Amino acid sequence: MQLSRKASITGISELPPQKDGRGLRTLDLLAQAARLAIEDAGLLKSDIDGLLVTPPSEDTAFMWPAQVAEYLQIFPASLNMVELGGASAAGCVNRAALLVAAGICRHCLCLSGGVWGTRVFNDREGKSAVMSGAELEYELPYGPMGFNSGYALAARRHMHEYGTTPEQLAKIAVDQRRSALLNPLALFNQSALTVEEVLASPLIVDPIHLLEIVRPCSGAAAVVVSRAETALDAPCPPVAILGMGEACTHDSIVYAPSLTATPIALSAKRAFAMAGVKPGDMDLVSLYDCYTITVLLTLEEAGFCPRGEGGRFVASTDLSFQGALPCNTHGGQLSCGQPSYAGGMSHVIEAVRQLRGQAGKRQVERRRLAFVNGNGGVLSTQSSLVLGGD
Amino acid sequence: MPESFIDFFKEKCKHGELWLPYCPHCQKAFFYPRRQCPFCLAEGWQWKPASGRGRVYSYTIVRVSALDEFRGATPYVYALIDLEEGVRLASNVVDCPEEILRPDMPVKLAWVTREGRQLPVFVPRDGD
Repeated sequence: MQLSRKASITGISELPPQKDGRGLRTLDLLAQAARLAIEDAGLLKSDIDGLLVTPPSEDTAFMWPAQVAEYLQIFPASLNMVELGGASAAGCVNRAALLVAAGICRHCLCLSGGVWGTRVFNDREGKSAVMSGAELEYELPYGPMGFNSGYALAARRHMHEYGTTPEQLAKIAVDQRRSALLNPLALFNQSALTVEEVLASPLIVDPIHLLEIVRPCSGAAAVVVSRAETALDAPCPPVAILGMGEACTHDSIVYAPSLTATPIALSAKRAFAMAGVKPGDMDLVSLYDCYTITVLLTLEEAGFCPRGEGGRFVASTDLSFQGALPCNTHGGQLSCGQPSYAGGMSHVIEAVRQLRGQAGKRQVERRRLAFVNGNGGVLSTQSSLVLGGD
Repeated sequence: MPESFIDFFKEKCKHGELWLPYCPHCQKAFFYPRRQCPFCLAEGWQWKPASGRGRVYSYTIVRVSALDEFRGATPYVYALIDLEEGVRLASNVVDCPEEILRPDMPVKLAWVTREGRQLPVFVPRDGD
């Protein structure tokens, strides 16, 4: 089955990320995002015949897709929950494209969001909630700091193998902040950031500084994926799904084949191959940015620069919306916050906004092709998309 | 033996010995211990004592710990250790000045007692 160009993104929505849930629950947030995305697609709720959701943050995950469908009073021909950590949102869009390409659904709603406080992963309970049995037994006794220490291990190894510097990594957060200043939805859009400020922020898990780490928050986001031929009636220019790919080599980073050669490479290669394009053809990229090192590794692994050259590449490339390779022009999660699983949807949504020409003051000039990557766990699950504008 | 593989591992640790699961079909050690060999999925694997020699693959220095039992222990080194047997495990590097700590440095097995449990950790050793 030929998949490229069979599905298009016709609707998007993103609630402003909030520092707390303001008394709302995941279901409420999802319902708000659903209404806005369906409206954006020019559809009625009754047009939705597919539902893909990411897991809840506080309710039971048992029968979660049905819980969401019941709240929304949607009666889909196919429904499911996608749990790939940070890659879940992009994973929903991938699977929605499959469902519409296969003719199972016409309009598939991808819903993501949740209620997270700042300290969601900080204490033992928070850390244990996202650890496997093996991690609890063989890793926790040594005092790992969850995702922070996992990515710190990767950053340290990258520095050792390739001479990557803290300054180079810090610049990623700085460039993203320049774009975030023009994003009214970003939690951190009040003032510019400098490399010195990033490096002066506390070293949380050496070599990672506080301002290189996402801040968990609350929010929701939604995407409507439609069969390509029906997308032509949509009010906004449809964004075609040209290619997609996924890959996974491990759950815990302890058992990753490598800290610097990651499954991102294979996932991106699959997406580019399906789309029949190369990294150099991209006008912008939206890369999962739980930490600065994640962006650097993704640029290398997806082929935007040679492996090991990421540090020098980001140092010499303007990654802001005005730059040679606009990257995370919404500010990324590093400036917007990470509203649970919807953090990963923000990368899809910003790429769609840019390709539609709806990015306002941070609009990039060339807007034909975008690469999106979702990343889950510690460089574990990967879900990539190549998107095309009209 | 597979029924009690976690107990076996812990019992050996209690006596200051690090043993690894070894699959005779695959002729490879693996970690963490589990009922079936992760390479061939067969159950008939064996235990073998580890040499205790390895290298630091990577490390991070935890300066702020959210775990109660580590609050007084910061800064401490959380590390990935590549053992000579070809397995990688999470551990700590102890008794090592920060100035000499680096990826690829040779280390050898040592033991600490934490929360009443004897845990394999690693200390620097002379290169080979």
